[in-house]
Amino acid sequence: MENAQLVGLSRQMALRRELEVVANNIANLGTAGFKSEQVKFSEYLMPVASAEIFPNNRDKRLSYVEDRATWQDFSAGPIQITNNQLDLAIDGEAFFAIQTPEGVRYTRNGQFQLDTQGTLVTNEGYPVMSTSGPIQFADTETAITVGKDGTVSTDQGPRGRLLLTTFGDPQSLVATGSSMFRAEGIGAELAPGQGGIQQYAVEKSNVQAVVETTRLVELTRAYSTLAQMMQRGDELRRTAIERLGDVTA
Amino acid sequence: MRALYVAATGMLAQETNVGVISNNIANMRTTAYKRQRVDFQDLLYQSLRRAGSTTSDAGTTAPVGVEIGSGVKTAGTPRIFSQGPLQATEKTYDIAIRGEGFFRIEMPDGEIAYTRDGSFELNQDGVLVTVDGYEVEGGITIPADATGVGINGDGVVEATLPGQTAPQQLGQIQLSRFINTSGLESKGENLFRETEASGPPQTDNPGSESMGTLVQFHLEAANVNSVTEVSDLISAQRAYEMNARVVTAADEMLQATTQMI
Repeated sequence: MENAQLVGLSRQMALRRELEVVANNIANLGTAGFKSEQVKFSEYLMPVASAEIFPNNRDKRLSYVEDRATWQDFSAGPIQITNNQLDLAIDGEAFFAIQTPEGVRYTRNGQFQLDTQGTLVTNEGYPVMSTSGPIQFADTETAITVGKDGTVSTDQGPRGRLLLTTFGDPQSLVATGSSMFRAEGIGAELAPGQGGIQQYAVEKSNVQAVVETTRLVELTRAYSTLAQMMQRGDELRRTAIERLGDVTA
Repeated sequence: MRALYVAATGMLAQETNVGVISNNIANMRTTAYKRQRVDFQDLLYQSLRRAGSTTSDAGTTAPVGVEIGSGVKTAGTPRIFSQGPLQATEKTYDIAIRGEGFFRIEMPDGEIAYTRDGSFELNQDGVLVTVDGYEVEGGITIPADATGVGINGDGVVEATLPGQTAPQQLGQIQLSRFINTSGLESKGENLFRETEASGPPQTDNPGSESMGTLVQFHLEAANVNSVTEVSDLISAQRAYEMNARVVTAADEMLQATTQMI
């Protein structure tokens, strides 16, 4: 009986964790380049408790649930045309490389700005990397265009090519907030001619509102069902104790 | 319960979004208004199990970790300085800028403010001023008896004076541009102020390198696209509702828990 309670509890804790992940996905419905997060559950077999008094009805091993991992769904988000010349969207699997004080970070959020020195930066002011360092524009340059392969040029000629990195296993990327990921391994640099940058566009969040709502409904129902089940288990035990207490010797 | 706070950040973000969208819509008819948008970013992640941690003595590692995000934040509200459509007005002192520059306006405190709103007027002394009476830098004065005032693409103001056949040059309008226009501070009244982020202004005559040219008898309309704004408004509203649903769901879970006790 205690075991039923504990199994239920393990599931409830996993569901709470899942709710937090769903809440974060929904909160980031409007975050450019956001990749939705999923939870992976697995069965956890409890090997210890067993009684061998009853030879024909041995105790079975118990299955608990455990949230093993969260993984990012790296599928592409919808591309929105913004008519802003410093908005870049990536068509394909690559990431922009950003130079931050903590090292190189990767992002799919292409809402860039220029800083006082004319460097192409993110909203935080971190430089966007090209194949040869940050991209810098002079005061007088206008008409910034970014080609499909990431080549940046202005009315005064080419200014470099954006560094686009792909990862064989994007799951090894760790989200660090601010729409950025940290890489554990080393990514492959896209060769010239490759890539699919679209200027004047932004990749929206790939969170699917309908799917998240469905998960939300599903997990609240599962949670309350478990709560009821655990309550019944408790009642069962109480009744048993009461009845047994009533028996007069 | 963390989900409650995460959903709250989402609701706050969408409120900011609706605030900015409504300001864009309110200024749909404001001369030379530049629309704003809100950029969001995800907040920090709490790592409950690190990816790459060892899972057995044989050296196998977890390919993915458990990371729980803590919501969303507003990263910035950049202004989009794309060119607005030009509208013909047939008014002599209506000037639109085709290009990246800004008019330079002398404020009463001596500071220079920047604007793209070229709906100018003359004051009692014949000086070219904004509708609020602030002087356009250069002190361009039009004599009361001048006829046929013309402002050419390069900012030269000319007029025909009585007794003369050739038009006479009365002044020169200059424009300024900034390396980072999104860094300008909005002062209201269609005026902008230079900041640390915008960089110092580069000033030159219109028509010269990347300043843009002037178009007389025209005004620049707002670059707000009503269809985009309305669809953005609808998405913001739906996103807000979704976050509210998360709050409800978290509340239901808490309720289920408390009922057990």
